[in-house]
Amino acid sequence: MTDKSKVAEKTKEIAVNLLRGAGEDLRLPAAAPAVTYPLETLVPQVRQQTPAVGQRVTRPDGRLHGLGQTKYIDDLSFPGMLYAKIKRAGIASARIKRIDTRAAEAMPGVMAVLTGREIPVNSFGPSLQDQPVLADERVFHAGDGVAAVAAVTEQIALEALERIQVEYELLPAVFDPLTALQDDAPRVHPPKSNIYATKTIRKGDLEKGFAASDRIFEGRFRTQMVEHASLEPHAAIAQWDPNGRVTLWSTLGRITLGRVDIARTLKLAVNRVRIIATIVGGNFGGKNEITQEPVLALLSKKTGRPVKGVFTRGEGFVATTTRHPFVMEYKTGVTKDGRILARKVRLVLDGGAYCSWSETTLGKAAILSAGPYRIDNLLVEAFVVYTNKTMTGAMRGFGAPQVCFAYESHMDDMASALGLDPLDIRLLNVFDEGSLSPTGQVLQSVVARQSLLQAADRFGWREARP
Amino acid sequence: MKRRGRGIACMWYPIGFTVSANPSAATVKVNEDGTATVLTGTVETGQGSLTVLGQIAAEELGVATDDVHVVSADTDVTPMDTGAIASRTTYVTGNAVKLAAEKAKAILFEAAAPMLGVRPEQLEAKDRTIRVKGFPQRNLPIGEVANHAQAVKGEPAIGSASWNPPTLAMDPDTGQGKPFSTYVYATQIAEVEVDDETGDVEVIRIVAAHDCGTAINPMLVEGQIEGGISMGVGFALQEEMLFDAAGRQINPNLTNYIMPTSLDMPRIEVDIIDNYDPTGPFGAKGVGEPTSVPTAAAILNAIHDAVGVRITSLPATAEKVLAAIRAKSAHERIAVR
Repeated sequence: MTDKSKVAEKTKEIAVNLLRGAGEDLRLPAAAPAVTYPLETLVPQVRQQTPAVGQRVTRPDGRLHGLGQTKYIDDLSFPGMLYAKIKRAGIASARIKRIDTRAAEAMPGVMAVLTGREIPVNSFGPSLQDQPVLADERVFHAGDGVAAVAAVTEQIALEALERIQVEYELLPAVFDPLTALQDDAPRVHPPKSNIYATKTIRKGDLEKGFAASDRIFEGRFRTQMVEHASLEPHAAIAQWDPNGRVTLWSTLGRITLGRVDIARTLKLAVNRVRIIATIVGGNFGGKNEITQEPVLALLSKKTGRPVKGVFTRGEGFVATTTRHPFVMEYKTGVTKDGRILARKVRLVLDGGAYCSWSETTLGKAAILSAGPYRIDNLLVEAFVVYTNKTMTGAMRGFGAPQVCFAYESHMDDMASALGLDPLDIRLLNVFDEGSLSPTGQVLQSVVARQSLLQAADRFGWREARP
Repeated sequence: MKRRGRGIACMWYPIGFTVSANPSAATVKVNEDGTATVLTGTVETGQGSLTVLGQIAAEELGVATDDVHVVSADTDVTPMDTGAIASRTTYVTGNAVKLAAEKAKAILFEAAAPMLGVRPEQLEAKDRTIRVKGFPQRNLPIGEVANHAQAVKGEPAIGSASWNPPTLAMDPDTGQGKPFSTYVYATQIAEVEVDDETGDVEVIRIVAAHDCGTAINPMLVEGQIEGGISMGVGFALQEEMLFDAAGRQINPNLTNYIMPTSLDMPRIEVDIIDNYDPTGPFGAKGVGEPTSVPTAAAILNAIHDAVGVRITSLPATAEKVLAAIRAKSAHERIAVR
C-alpha cells in the first residue's frame, strides 16, 4: 500500500519535470493547495444547548476566521476582472480647470478612465447630498478623487494615474472649526454658510439655576480627529451585466440605504442594483457610507468587465470618514455639597468637507453632553461647521466619547475643588429609574447608579490607598 | 518617578438613531426537520451580530443556536435593514427576528394543537419540542410538527416581521422630545502609571461595568467591551490625524499614526450589570458603541489623580503630559518663593 502510493507520487513528479523541461519559461497553472483542515466539524456543546439566550455561544464564522477560510472582498476574483485606482487631488481647496486623461487612456492595459462629469448624478450623502463621487468642478479637501482608471493590473492602473494631468486654480481654504465659524472665513461650499447644522436643547431656567448655585465652574476641552482603521480596507467589486443590472460585492455596513444611494448616483431603478456584503472585516462606523462603488459600477459598464477596487491604508485615512474633532465649553453651577443645579454647554464640531453623518453625531452629542446626571436647568448649543479637511462621519459613539471626556473631566475638577470624592459627586447627581433626560424623556431600565457602585466595588475604590 | 493614579467615568448612550425611523425587517423559516433559517439585511462586521440574531430566533422557537442558520446582507435575498450602525442590531433587528419567529411559531402551534388535543394558546416551544404548558411530557418533536404543517396541512412555518423603535420628534427650539426608545449606562475605572520625568502614561487596569439589558451572549458582550476599551486607549493617549498648513494629512499610515497594540492593553475586568429592558428582545438593549465611550475620560481623570495635571485636549501624549507637569512644578516653585 505504502509502496504503491510512493510510486504514484514519483510518476507525477516525472510528468511535471518533463513538462517543465519542454520550455524553460513554461509556467504550470497553479493548482489549488490540498485541503489541510477537517471538513467534518465538531459542534461545540454550547451551540446545542437550550435555552439559547444567555449562552456563551461560539460564532459560526469563528472557525472560518481561524482557518483563514473567510472570503473577504479581496479574496474574490472573477474571469476578466480589472483593477481600479482613483487619483486623489492632494490639494485642499481648488477649482478644477482641466483634466487631461488622453495619455492614460493610450496606455496598453488601461481599459477605461472615468471623470466626475460622466457620473449621472455626481453627489451623495446620508442626509445632505453635498459630496461628489469624483470631484468635477471643485476640490473640497485633499483626499477628493478627481479621476479613476480601470486596468488589467493594479500596477498599470497606478501608473496611469500618474499620466492624468489636472490643472487647478487654488482657492482659499479654512481648516480650524472656530475660524470657519467666523463671518469672514472662506466658505467651503459657497454660497452656503459653513455652519451646516445646529442643535439646541433647553430645559428649566438656566439663569435661576446659576443664581441659586454656590459655586460656578468653567472648562474648555478639545478632541482630535481619529480614523477607524478597520483591519479590512474599503473594498468592492462591480459587475455590470447585459441586462443592465449591476452587482456589487462591497464592505458596506448598511446595504439597504447604500443601495438607494448607489442607484441614485447611477440613475438606476433600485431593483437594478444588488449589493452583497457577506462578511465585513471591521466597520466602527467607517463603512456606513458608499465610497468608490458608483465609480467601479461605471468602470464596469464602460469595459463590460468586473472591476475591483481596494483602498490602500492611506486612502482609508484621506478619503473616508473620520471622527469629529470637538471644541467644548462647559459652565456648571453646583451647591457646595456637589449637587448640579445648572449647566451650559457649547459644542463646535469640525465637520470636515462634507456632512456625512454629522447631523446624527451633532444630535447625539448635544443630547448626551449633559452626562448621565439629573440637571433641571440646562442649555446646550451645538454647531457643526465645514472645513477643507477629510470628512467626519459616523464613528463608534457618534460624538459621545468626546462629550464624555469633557463632562467627566469637568466633574472631577468640581469634585476636587469642593473636596468631594469623585465617586460621591457622581452618586449624588446620577440618573435613576424614572429620571428625566435633557430632552424631557422619562428614562427606563436605568442602572447608572449600579454601574458606578459595581465598578467601584470591583476596583476597590473605597479601600485605603497604598 | 512613576506615579499611580485612578480615574472614574460614567456614561449613558442611546440605542438606535436620533428620531428618524430606523426599522429592521426579518424572515424566519422553520425547515422540515425543525431547524430554521433567518433572513436579515444586517451585515456582520465582526461583532458577532449574526450569532446573537440566531440565538434570539432559537430562543423564540425553543431550539438550540446551532439549529438556526442566519443568511445576511444580500439586497436580492434579504429584507431591508437600517444597518450595522448606532448599536442597534441586537435591539432593533433582534426585535424584528423575534417577531418573525413568533409568527412562524404560531403556524407550528396551529398544526400541533389538534395533534396534541389542546388549543394553540396552551402550547409552548421548548427543548426542540412543541409541548403543552405545564405538561412537558405531552410533546411532539418540533421537526415532526414543522413537517406536518408543511407536508400535510400545506402551511409552511414562515414568518416575516419588521420593527421600528418608537420615538417622538424633538422640538426644534427646545430639543424636548423622545429621540430614542432606550439608553444604556456604564462606568469604567482606570488605573494608570505616569512617569513624571517623561510624561509617558501606561494604563495598568480598567474595570468596566456595563449595562446592555439582557446579555444574549455574555462572551460577545465581553469581546465588545475589550475591543471598545482598546479604541478608547488609542483615543486617550495616542491616535491623532495630523495636517500640514496646506490641509494635507502628514501621517496617513500606521507607522506614524500610532494605534494601541496588544502590548498597550491594560488588564480588563468586566462586569455585566443585571438588567432587563421590557422593550428589547428578551430584555436586551445593546453594547457596541458604549464600550469605547468612557475609557478616555477615565484615563484622563486617572492622569490627573496621579500627577495633578488636567489635560484638556486629546490625545494626552507623553509630550503634552510632560509639558503640563513642568508647567505645574514651575508654577509651584514660584508660589513657594
